[in-house]
Amino acid sequence: MMKKPRIGVFVCHCGINISATVDVEKVKEYAKTLDGVAVSKDYKYMCSDVGANLIKESIKKDKLTSVVVACCSPRMHEHTFQKVASDGGLNPYTVEIANIREQCSWVHDDKKVATEKAKKLVEAAVAKARLLEPLITSSIEVTPNALVIGGGIAGIQAALEIAENGHKVYLVERTPTLGGRMAQLDKTFPTLDCSSCILTPRMTEVADHPNIELLAYSEVEDIKGSIGNFTVKIRKKARFVDADKCTGCGDCAENCRLKGRIIDEFNMGLNKRSAIYLPFPQAVPLIYTIDPNHCLMLTTGRCGKYPLCVEACEADAIDFNQKDEVITVDVGAIVVATGFNLLDPSIIPEYGYTHSPNVITTLEMERLINSAGPTKGEIQLLDTKEKPKSITYILCVGSRDETVCSWCCRIGCMTALKHLYLIREKLPDAEINLCYIDIRSYGKGYEEFYRTARNLNINLFRGRPSEVRPTKEGIIINVFDTITNKLFEIKTDMVVLVPAVTAREDAVELARKLKISTSSDGFYLEGHPKLKPMDTATGGIFLAGFCQGAKDIQDTVAHASGAASRALTILSKKELEAETYIAVVDEELCSGCGICISVCPYQAIELITEDDKKRAKVNEALCMGCGACTAACPSGAMQQRGFKDKEILSMIEVLSK
Amino acid sequence: MGILDLTSMGEPQVDVKREIIGQLERLQDEIPEYCYQCAKCTSGCEAHRLLELEPHRIIALLKRGLIDEMVNSDIIWTCMSCFKCWERCPQKIAPVEILFLLKNYAVALGKQIPGNYTAALQSVLSKGLIQDVKTISTRTGETKSRRDVGLPEITKPVDPVKFQALISKMAVEKI
Amino acid sequence: MTKKTLVFYPGCIMQTEQYSYEISLREILPVLDIKLVDVEGFSCCGEPLKSVNRMITLVLSARNIALAESRNLDIFTPCPICNLAFRECKNILDNDDKIKEKVNGFLAEEGLTYNGISKVIDLLELLYDIVGLDYIKKHVKKPLDLKAAVHYGCHAIRPSEIGRSDDSEEPRKIEDILEVLGVEAPWYPEKLDCCGGLLNMNLPETALTKTGEKLRSIQEQGFDLLVDICPWCHRQFDSKQKKSGETVAYSLNLPVVYLTQLMGLAFDIPWGKLGFNLNLSPVNTLVEGR
Repeated sequence: MMKKPRIGVFVCHCGINISATVDVEKVKEYAKTLDGVAVSKDYKYMCSDVGANLIKESIKKDKLTSVVVACCSPRMHEHTFQKVASDGGLNPYTVEIANIREQCSWVHDDKKVATEKAKKLVEAAVAKARLLEPLITSSIEVTPNALVIGGGIAGIQAALEIAENGHKVYLVERTPTLGGRMAQLDKTFPTLDCSSCILTPRMTEVADHPNIELLAYSEVEDIKGSIGNFTVKIRKKARFVDADKCTGCGDCAENCRLKGRIIDEFNMGLNKRSAIYLPFPQAVPLIYTIDPNHCLMLTTGRCGKYPLCVEACEADAIDFNQKDEVITVDVGAIVVATGFNLLDPSIIPEYGYTHSPNVITTLEMERLINSAGPTKGEIQLLDTKEKPKSITYILCVGSRDETVCSWCCRIGCMTALKHLYLIREKLPDAEINLCYIDIRSYGKGYEEFYRTARNLNINLFRGRPSEVRPTKEGIIINVFDTITNKLFEIKTDMVVLVPAVTAREDAVELARKLKISTSSDGFYLEGHPKLKPMDTATGGIFLAGFCQGAKDIQDTVAHASGAASRALTILSKKELEAETYIAVVDEELCSGCGICISVCPYQAIELITEDDKKRAKVNEALCMGCGACTAACPSGAMQQRGFKDKEILSMIEVLSK
Repeated sequence: MGILDLTSMGEPQVDVKREIIGQLERLQDEIPEYCYQCAKCTSGCEAHRLLELEPHRIIALLKRGLIDEMVNSDIIWTCMSCFKCWERCPQKIAPVEILFLLKNYAVALGKQIPGNYTAALQSVLSKGLIQDVKTISTRTGETKSRRDVGLPEITKPVDPVKFQALISKMAVEKI
Repeated sequence: MTKKTLVFYPGCIMQTEQYSYEISLREILPVLDIKLVDVEGFSCCGEPLKSVNRMITLVLSARNIALAESRNLDIFTPCPICNLAFRECKNILDNDDKIKEKVNGFLAEEGLTYNGISKVIDLLELLYDIVGLDYIKKHVKKPLDLKAAVHYGCHAIRPSEIGRSDDSEEPRKIEDILEVLGVEAPWYPEKLDCCGGLLNMNLPETALTKTGEKLRSIQEQGFDLLVDICPWCHRQFDSKQKKSGETVAYSLNLPVVYLTQLMGLAFDIPWGKLGFNLNLSPVNTLVEGR
């Protein structure tokens, strides 16, 4: 039997935010007339120390059983007032907020109407407060390990920071090696330090770190659980090479029957590799991988008389019988660092990417400039292999374009300027042209770099070409330069398109597994664009780097460190407070139909049999309190704590009076 | 308060601008205000090299409201309606459609209509077609009529009076 | 067996001077089991007057569509310019009841009503999507061993916002049809360039320069002929080839034919029945010996 309720109502003025539109005095007086209300008070700022003390003292003096605060949104101060109630000796969940600011004073002009509405909202809150039950929050143990998805610079940075803090990290990378996009770059702007020189030591650190388990050539299959306790299924794809035996000597690739026949993705298709391959010499782990889509043994079952790689391998590492392996790991937090794609410019046909081999992208140029690349750093035309006499860059190919990608790629301008610098070093006499709309050089040292680039004898055209026209006499580009107000015809040997950036092609699929959202541009959606840039809407899952939106390396690394730090706020705790507002089953009413199980997105409900009777049981650690089951339950047996049917209905009853 | 073009002493014609932009939104669902002057339209304009049409400048002038400057110039009549500017605009703006409306506006103001437009309009008014049916010549210099080459009678408005009434009525209408 | 019956809307330029297009259409479409119905009373589509008054364009298009609708048939517009006018008219009227009501107010003068029930079909949709390559192939009796430059014409492929029958930047339908006829049609840089035709209204000299420039670059690249589907473009490339050559000071002798004429040749229809005597460009080389 519940005690007769003694409710305290506290109406806040919020300076004039509320009191300018709502007659606070009238609301306070009205509350006094409501059944169960023992006391009603108002104050200028209820969330201030003075306001909090007012509530605390009243709880004691007036022997309150629950508290209604009429103020701003519960998103702002519910937690504040729960703590006040707790300090005053009440259960924190006996506080009910009547939102008379966002839902009343801010959206109305007419003081009379707004006051009436505020009275109703307070009355509804009081109705619910009469029925509120104290709730006890349980705690759940945290698995102190982390999962990092993606082995580019963002994933590497996040993994190392978490590992440094003493937590075990599983780092999953889809390709055979760590490194990601950064491994494909030659130099990095604006300081021009060599990309692999700064990246490979970090890759080695990952490989050597006692707290990091590197799962390269692996993919996340399935994720269950929630913040503090995720269970992740990971598929370790078969390399058909024994990782323990392979020494990385490369004799296998040298002898492969398909040597020089298969498109090399790492080099953007500018050269051909073998069916057994290492993406690049500094790959981590240094283990060769057989490409199952091309290897003759794996596609046809035979390779000449015998597979040449097997014969060449002195370590006896090749194993065509190797199978994929699926492992399960338990982690408390997840960092997603899956990176980005460059737009395929062939979807903008007027820019000629499909009509000439000498129309290339920035990433292709990056491989051409790179001394470890397919041309050993020599910039040459793709067809004749001659040195180009003229190179023309076109910025914003598909970027800032409502028909392709509406966003700015944030790396294009600086990448192109960096290329101009490197090309000028290698080809001192070449003509270099750049067509741009705006040069966006907004980072530390970027504008200074732009200034340097301007003095490298390059031709800047402020205008976007309409098309790129490969002809027998060379590639012809017409561009209207809005600086000189003239149309220029540029006859050039080589065109470098600076393409837009997009989310990974399977970003949505991974988002579904993680139960996180994507924004309209396809990148993962952050918790708040300014205040929670590393968070997702799902607790325990954080974003690092380009997968959240365009970033250069500097920003990516900063973002990844932030994500690691956010993950550590969970991993460093032994226990987390469990969700309070979870679902509970009324065992008498439950018929065991199982509809709740089918709608639960967290796999938190199971059917159990007790005394020959089937009924639903909620796993309190997994339930996130989303309410899907309570809405679906046909008998009303499933109820959500703090939002029970009778509590909500009592409010509706008041509001519909 | 206000803006003045000191080279021509022209002032923005805010109402005309609003009228034209309103029509564009209604007909093509396009919003010229989004133009960021990348000049992709002018780079690819079929009429630019020979006739100096600068579609991006047309949009800029429209955005400023300097409409008179355009309707008093022959430049708006140089568009070949190749539609490349519309097709390739990264902000989905159609300079070609803006030019159509500017020409319409010039005609409505009673400005001189260049070339054969008047003749074509007269022909459509009187016969329903933009030109008379022709007797044409073969490669070897013979002349042939439709009947000579075995084609049936042409199709044209049956009652020219009613047809004329229709056109004259709508010619003064606005969209 | 008749595959489809359509109202035939010839448009001004075709029926007043571009006879070879009309002759070859009327010759090859029955072979492909397409029946054309002639309708009395059509007027100009309105597109050439769009610069003068958009409302005239809109109402004239609606008027012609309304006439066709009274036959309960879809309407075939071989001229891409007429087709664009009609499709744009449909886009506007079918999505804006207020404008439709207003336009119908005018049409009542002649006892007509625009309902929006007839589809508007252009040549590429008819040949490629309705007849189909396989069906065309069946009728090819004499494959042609030629290398053609293809000219789609601006209005056939742009603006895609209005809904055109082929891709605006990489159209393929004419090339695919030509391949069935045995004709090779490689990509060339000037493929999408404008013929200049619409400038005839006020700047005919400039129009001829545009025409001459395009013809010159095609001829220089060693093509056997130029294939087109638009009467306005054809008038520039074929009927005015000599003049346009003079304008750009270049000796032009490039055969220019309608796609439909070439199809007739491949179907082994005598060239005399396909209007080849009316082409003013040197098409002799194509038909001699046939």
